[in-house]
Amino acid sequence: MQRLLAILLLALTALPATAAEVRNIDLGKQAQVWFVEDHTVPIVSFSVSLPGGSAHDPRTKPGLAAITAAMMDEGAGNLNSAAFHQALAAKAIQFSARAERDFTVISVSSLAADAGEAMRLLQLALTRPRFDNEPLARVRASIIQSLEQDAAEPGQVAARAFMRDFFNGHPYGHASNGDVASVNAVTQADLRAFAKGHWVKNGLKIAVAGDITQAAVTRLLGQTFAPLPGTAVAPPRDVGRLGRPGVHIVPMNVPQPAAVFGLPGIMRSDPDFIPGYVANYILGGGGFSSRLMDEVRTKRGLTYGVSTSLNPYAKASVMIGQVGTRANAINQTLQVVRQTMTDFAAQGPTQAELDDAKTYLTGSFPLAFASNTGIAAQLGTFQRQGLDVGYVVRRNSLIQAVTIEDVRRAARRLFDPARLTVIVAGSPGGGAKPVDKPAAPPAKPPQP
Amino acid sequence: MLLGVGALALLTPAAAQSPAREVRGGQTFQFALANGMQVLVIPDHRAPVATHMLWFKVGAVDDPAGISGMAHFFEHMMFRGTKKVPGEGFTQAIARNGGESNAFTFYDYTAYYEQIAKDRLPLAMQMEADRIANLDLSDANVATEREIVMEERRMRTENDPQSLMGEQMNAALHLSHPYGRPVVGWMEELRHIDRASASDFYRRHYAPNNAILVVAGDVTAEDVRVMAQKEYGGLPARPLAQRAENAHPPRLTESRLRITRDDAKVPVFSRTYRVPSYATAQPGRAEALETMAQALGGDQTSLLYRVLVEQRKLATEVGASYDGYRRDMGEFSLYAVPRPGVTLENLERALDEVLATAARTAPTGPDLDRAKTQLIAAVTFRRDSQYQMASAYGQALTIGLTVDDVNAWPQRIRAVSANAVRSAAAGLNRAESVTGFLLPGGGK
Repeated sequence: MQRLLAILLLALTALPATAAEVRNIDLGKQAQVWFVEDHTVPIVSFSVSLPGGSAHDPRTKPGLAAITAAMMDEGAGNLNSAAFHQALAAKAIQFSARAERDFTVISVSSLAADAGEAMRLLQLALTRPRFDNEPLARVRASIIQSLEQDAAEPGQVAARAFMRDFFNGHPYGHASNGDVASVNAVTQADLRAFAKGHWVKNGLKIAVAGDITQAAVTRLLGQTFAPLPGTAVAPPRDVGRLGRPGVHIVPMNVPQPAAVFGLPGIMRSDPDFIPGYVANYILGGGGFSSRLMDEVRTKRGLTYGVSTSLNPYAKASVMIGQVGTRANAINQTLQVVRQTMTDFAAQGPTQAELDDAKTYLTGSFPLAFASNTGIAAQLGTFQRQGLDVGYVVRRNSLIQAVTIEDVRRAARRLFDPARLTVIVAGSPGGGAKPVDKPAAPPAKPPQP
Repeated sequence: MLLGVGALALLTPAAAQSPAREVRGGQTFQFALANGMQVLVIPDHRAPVATHMLWFKVGAVDDPAGISGMAHFFEHMMFRGTKKVPGEGFTQAIARNGGESNAFTFYDYTAYYEQIAKDRLPLAMQMEADRIANLDLSDANVATEREIVMEERRMRTENDPQSLMGEQMNAALHLSHPYGRPVVGWMEELRHIDRASASDFYRRHYAPNNAILVVAGDVTAEDVRVMAQKEYGGLPARPLAQRAENAHPPRLTESRLRITRDDAKVPVFSRTYRVPSYATAQPGRAEALETMAQALGGDQTSLLYRVLVEQRKLATEVGASYDGYRRDMGEFSLYAVPRPGVTLENLERALDEVLATAARTAPTGPDLDRAKTQLIAAVTFRRDSQYQMASAYGQALTIGLTVDDVNAWPQRIRAVSANAVRSAAAGLNRAESVTGFLLPGGGK
């Protein structure tokens, strides 16, 4: 066991940034396409980001981008909703679309032999959507039911209230899936207008990985996206004041109240973003290794999970944290969170914490490149953050270059407990599924 | 329990029966160590990383009487340190070396995994080997971890009315069989966990001869053979606690639950049948149930969706699923959410009419083809993920299936006839089922 300790102390020095070679594909000036060719498994994965998300919802129609995305596979051209679903299912094409704040993100995976059919159906969905009344009524009813269910879940309630309070009326503050009144009010004409204005080539980003040649994918994507209009999408307006410092309670009678807390983050284009990401990893982003997890869970048994994340949007950045605990422990839990944050902002990390953060963040990067779906998703995240294709190679050296002074500076900038906005859903002081069954791979937050 | 004849059993490509069709990956290699640990290797050379999963043939069915949740609680304790790697050292060392680690517990198995650069596999193996033999179970750790598991139960179950109903339905369906107890444990019984019971559980179930190692990733069978022999080979085999052979008591009639709660905002219909599993079914029967679940309620082209959601507009959501990867009986489940204004009684009546149709009439050619295409394609999609590959084989092996069973599954699905699907629907017996109505209580 001597050898064990030797290995424990060993830090990662130089791993390959990725196993994959990422290539640019030229699809004209308006669109960005990145491609990784790998013929090991006969599937192809696509991540397609359209330049309009829930921040582009009209003021009176929150949720429009999300409903339009949910209607994407509900009929197009001469295929009605049922026929479109059957066309996807007949070839086992996996197709999903969701609205993020700045983008609508479409994920498509198919067997390699059916990539052409997958893109044919995607083109049809994007260029000739039907938005028929029957599926619209169904999708609307389903979204409203999920909104109603969310209203009883403290984590969801706290997260919605946090975003609303934090963004003070900016479109980043409304929930992507809107609210019951707005979802009820959305019309077919709204969907058409949103798709026409935002499902466009200007600002389109595509990542492809898998069993297809460069020549074939270039031809296929060219055909698929050629008919999209080149209209420019206006960015969301600038944000104003961020945050509403203090603890705000949304009373609910639940066994385990949830708290969501946050602070202004650091923009993706800011030179301190990477130091900020490292600082967040050490405080609350590092899963079981983070300071918050150690203090709140491991030492005190106050929670099953506590975490923080740094979320850069196009026009704002926000650090968001969450924790759940029994009703009579919420005040103590928030106190521990606040104290841990205060200490970290004052003193910054230890050298060992910084070293560990670097070896994790650089060493784990290749894990994101171990599958076609993983590669497409990771590249799509980089594209939406406005990075260039060379970032994939550069990224680990940027993290290696972070100094302890960089992280101290970023931690002071990020973690000021006096400005903390805290929402608690629950009543402080009062009142078969398998456990971790491996149905799906563990959710991994995108790497910066 | 000892499998090896010499130091190591033979390295045998398990996919040997159809090598020509497996040339683009998908090959697996299986062997055993002399101490009884089984090993499966799934090479995938796309990225310089590997997924290391250690599966134990112990799960919630092995919870001691009066201490439901013990197997899952114990999984948590495995991260609480040994003498050589104290405290949070395990997770920290894996993270420091660029890896992810976690674990999961279900009824029949518990699994621990690390995803890490391939040159760090020996580290993962050394630390796993260390905690199989040298776990440090102190009273303080046990007390704190018990609180954490109670918080986990509050989060997953008590905060969620659908989870609570599922737990009640499960208890009703399985009668005295331990599948009726929640994996996370009943709150009242979690309180009974202490150092002595945890220590006893460890001694009875954690040994190399109760483990299956699955490594997927940028490795060869020979790499893993050498590493596993070095890191795990020195662990002695130990006598294991005999696993209880739990009976599934007969059910004389169906059970029905109506649960009304303020925190339920949307009514939900749910029904689960006790059905044969891959481990217990007659040949072909589990595959027919799987295909029937897909054709009946697997997606938006399924029979239930077409009739209840699209044609009759009674539901917004509907689904069917088959959980066949169990040592004892499996489960076949139906789920539906009514459109506003539709009662659960009317929804259930309509759903039962669709079931009756499925029991009378075999699926059409296109419907059957589409269901099979999706099930079989899922096997190809699974090959994209080391985690999913390691999970699929690990789960199958722990419930007593073989690598050949997993590899031949697509052929067996292809062989399912339309009449076998009809017969699987006809075989659903209401006496073998629990139906749950979740109803919003009071006003909104």
